[in-house]
Order: sequence, then structure tokens, then C-alpha cells
Amino acid sequence: MRTKSYVWICGVLAGLVAFWLITIRAAGTPAEADVAIVVSPSNPVNNLTLADLRKIYMGERQYWTTSSPVIVLMRSPGAREREVILRVVYQMTQEQYTHYWVAKVMRAEASDPPASLFSYGIVQEGVRGNPGAIGYVNMNDLRSGVKVVRIGGLLPGEPGYLLH
Amino acid sequence: MHRVWGIFAVFLLLPLSALAQNAARDEREQEMQEMRARIEKLEKLVAQLQKEKETNNGVATAPAAGDTLQAVATPSSHEPPAAGPVTSMDHSDNQGAATNSVERNFPALHFRGFGDMDFSATDDKTTKSGFNMGQLILHVSSPLSEKVSVFGETSFTAQAAATATAYNVDVERLLIRYDYNDYFKLSFGRYHTPINYWNTAFHHGLWLQTTIARPEMIRFGGRFQPVHFVGMLAEGNIPSGPVGLGYNAGLGNGRSGNIARAGDGGDVNDNRAWVVSLFSRPAALNGLQVGGAVYGDSITPSPALTGNPRFQELITSAHIVWTKETPEFLAEFTHVRHRNSVTQAEFNSDAAYAQVAYRLPGVGRKWKPYYRFEWSNINPSDVLFTVSSQPAPVVNDLTGSTVGVRYDITSLAAFKGEYRHTTRKVTDPIVNGFFFQTSFTF
Repeated sequence: MRTKSYVWICGVLAGLVAFWLITIRAAGTPAEADVAIVVSPSNPVNNLTLADLRKIYMGERQYWTTSSPVIVLMRSPGAREREVILRVVYQMTQEQYTHYWVAKVMRAEASDPPASLFSYGIVQEGVRGNPGAIGYVNMNDLRSGVKVVRIGGLLPGEPGYLLH
Repeated sequence: MHRVWGIFAVFLLLPLSALAQNAARDEREQEMQEMRARIEKLEKLVAQLQKEKETNNGVATAPAAGDTLQAVATPSSHEPPAAGPVTSMDHSDNQGAATNSVERNFPALHFRGFGDMDFSATDDKTTKSGFNMGQLILHVSSPLSEKVSVFGETSFTAQAAATATAYNVDVERLLIRYDYNDYFKLSFGRYHTPINYWNTAFHHGLWLQTTIARPEMIRFGGRFQPVHFVGMLAEGNIPSGPVGLGYNAGLGNGRSGNIARAGDGGDVNDNRAWVVSLFSRPAALNGLQVGGAVYGDSITPSPALTGNPRFQELITSAHIVWTKETPEFLAEFTHVRHRNSVTQAEFNSDAAYAQVAYRLPGVGRKWKPYYRFEWSNINPSDVLFTVSSQPAPVVNDLTGSTVGVRYDITSLAAFKGEYRHTTRKVTDPIVNGFFFQTSFTF
């Protein structure tokens, strides 16, 4: 009987230790990286306010200049970066985002919703190849050939940066 | 009684069938998630291999993220040439099946459809309860070039007459637009008049609007306001910083001889109608829009009224909307003034509505209860609203309340049920009714 109790106690203790180890490991994991807004290096824009970024992503600002239309690139549903953009920039759920763009096209305010791209690599290729494109990517996944835009004067990783 | 329960059972079963759909969707989303993880893993591997290759060849490696953040990360000398334009447009966005093509072709042609199926039961002795087909709407958008686009909206409507043999097909909107920049876009065609918010926010897409029906003051086929407009329209933003101003300015044919319709085939007189609207979407309050419009026209009703008068029409309107869902709020007011050109008599009428809705949180997020109050005060001496020789229904005073709930079966289909309590003229009976609708987009 006593042996059985010891087994139970040891089991519970082992479970607690395992839980503690997992917790420690989780605590040691670096926080989710900031999301960087990227444009083509040929785009003269270096800084945008969050309000500017919202106007661009919501299709209310469709031109950088008269001769340069904005091409908005999104990640496909499920990507963490997309969730950040939906939460901070759009302030919408996925369902509300879908509804918003169906309505926007129906109103003839845009001819298409933004492109949804599968991977951060495709997003950056798209930005690199299009002077008017704007996309977003996890700051740890940045590659060469794109320019990171300051948001409210801040770069990803700096204190107070909003897109995380 | 059994029939009524049967109908209710059918409508209650709809949400249950949606639950089964959700399970399949979750499974699909999980598959997509796994596929995305694999792609990202492969991309990282490719990047690593490329880096190793460059190192072995003695070429400077691509800047690390930290370097990139300092300034523009310029392409390395071994960077492949830039890909073509990336504007693959994903019309099944929420389905996760993104088409990642990297080329934009002109012209492109995109379709979207809207449909609805309705049921109504009222104590109005002049109407019959039952099911009815709503409208089938086909919306097309086609960018012809970077700056020129065509939009069209066609409706197929079941006719109510017992002897009807075919659906009524109508071109609701058709326009071609040239975008010079954000501040000036010019278009020609047939529009929904930018005279108030609802008319240009939801068009014929009943799935887009929270409630089953439009407010009476802007109902299709009604006389109170000109819903359609044929002519030209300039629109755009006004540089105004955080105030977020925008405008519409149009010139067109105005109302036809049948004042519920626009002058599609030509104007009925030599006076053009005009409309100017101004609105603000403040940057600090994402979701808020306030605005107003002024519309002027000269109306020549057909068949002609006694004395063959024309009427100068001046419509002023204002709106304030909060397009978030927690809560959603819409309120509009319209004043219509008609001046008889023969007698110089003026007739003033007003109408307004206020609607509030709230998307429930958590597990109830598919549900959105709503309430709308409508009111109109029509001058009974205004013959344009009351004469029976016009094909459209006469316009009467109205005080009405609508209370209902919207249930989003999926992200592209909704079920709505509502109760309406309507009072018109003092001599008319109060009407109560239950209405149900399944509306969707595809």
C-alpha cells in the first residue's frame, strides 16, 4: 500500500517537474518577432504612420504617385503576420476582412481584393519585382532586395513598434 | 399551425447544417496550415543553401535582418532578376487557396454573385404569405489597364404578377472609370446615386447588409429618392490629413418620366440632374463616416399631370455611420423639396432611419441582433409622391420598427429573421410581419 502511494507521489512530482521544465522552456522562448512592412528599394517612401498604412491596406489610398499604383500584398489565412495585420491595421477578424473586400469591390472602389500569398518568400519576391508593391514579413525572415518602412518613425524591434 | 411549425423547423435546421460544414472547413484549414509550414520550411532551406553557395563562391552574403533594418537592403549581385508584376488576385481569399500567380494581365474579368431566398408572413390582408425568390445578382469587375476599370451589376428578379412568365432582367450599374490618382477618378455610366450612404454601400448585395431589406426611403423601385443615376461622376479623396475627406460630383439625366427610374434611354427634358456629396472618414476613428449630399433635378412626369407642370427637385441628405460591428450604427436623414413650375407651390417631405446592431462575442460571434427605426413625413399635397398614374407605389407617411437577428452560416452566407411593426397613414391598419431570408455571395 505504502509502495503504491510512493509511486503515485513520484508520478505527481515527475509531472510537476516536467510541467516546470516546459514552462521554463516556454519562458525562455523569444517573444514573437515584429512584423516588418516592406516595399521596393525604388519606392521613395521610408516612413508611414499607422493611419497611412491603414489607408493603404484598406484600399483608400491606391496610388503612391499619379503614375505609381499601390499593389497590396497579403499573406494567406493562417500566417501569423496576417493575423497581426488584421488585428492592428485592419482591426478586423478574418470574416470581417472578407466582408470588407467583397463590399469594396461591389462598390467599385477596387477591382480586386489584395493578393494573398502563401509564403514570406513569395511576398518578398513580389515586393522586389514591383516598385508599387507593399507587403509584410516577420522581421526574422527578411531577405535582401526589399526596403523596410518605418511605422510611426520606428523600425521593427525598436521599443514601441506597433506591429507585433 | 403544423405548417407554420414546419416552416420554422426548416429555418432552424439551416444553422445545424452549417455546423457540419464548419467541421469540414476546420479540417481543410488544418491541411492548409500544414502545407504552409512545409513551404516556409523549404524556403528557409533554400535560403540557407543559397547563402552557403554564395559563401563558397566568395560572394558577400545577403545582409542579415538587422542590417536590412538599417536602410535599404539592396539586391546582391547574384540576386535573380525581379519577377514580373505580382498582382495575383485571390477571390477565394478566406478559403486559403491562394493563387500565387505573379503576373497581372489586362483585361481581367472577375465575377461575383449574390442571391437570396425569402419567406414572409404578415397580417396585411392585401398580401399573401409564403416563399419568394429574391434577386440573383451578377457583379463583374474588369481592370482594362492599371488605370481603367469596368464594373457592372445585373439583376434577375422574379416577377410578382400571377401571369408572369419570365424573370425581369435589369442592368443595375454599368460604368467605366479612369483613375488619374487618388484625388480624381472620372467615370461614365449608370450608378446608384451617391445621394446617401446605404444606396452606395450595399447596392443589390443583400448579404452585405445586416438586415433583410433596405430602409423604405431608399427602396428600389420607390419614388422618394432617385436610386439610379445615368451620366458621369468624378470622385476621390480631398487632401485633408487626419480628417479623411472624400467627394463625389456627378452630372446626369436624373429621373425619367416614371420617376422611380433613371433616364436610361435619354433625359426627359433638357435639364441635367446634378449631385455633390462630401464625406469624412477620420483617421483617429477607424470605422466612422459622416457626410452629406445635395441633389438637384428638373422632373417631367409621364403621363403628364394636369396643367403639364414640371417640378424642380432639391434633395439634401446627411448620414453618420459606424461600420464596426461592436456595435454597428447607421443613421440617415433626407429632405426632399419639389417646386411646381406652374403654381410655384413648394412641397417638403422628410425621411430618416437609425439602425443599430451588435456582433455577439465569443461562441456567439455568428449572431448579430439588430434594431431599426424608420420614419417618414410625406407632404400629402405633393402629387409626385401621391399621384396614382405613376407606375411605382405611392409614398406615404411611415413609422416602423424592425427587430431581428442575423446568423452567419459561413463567412459567405447568412440567415436573417426579423419582425416588423409598421404604421402608415392614420386610416391604415398597423401591419405586423415576420420575415426570413437566406442571403449569400459566391
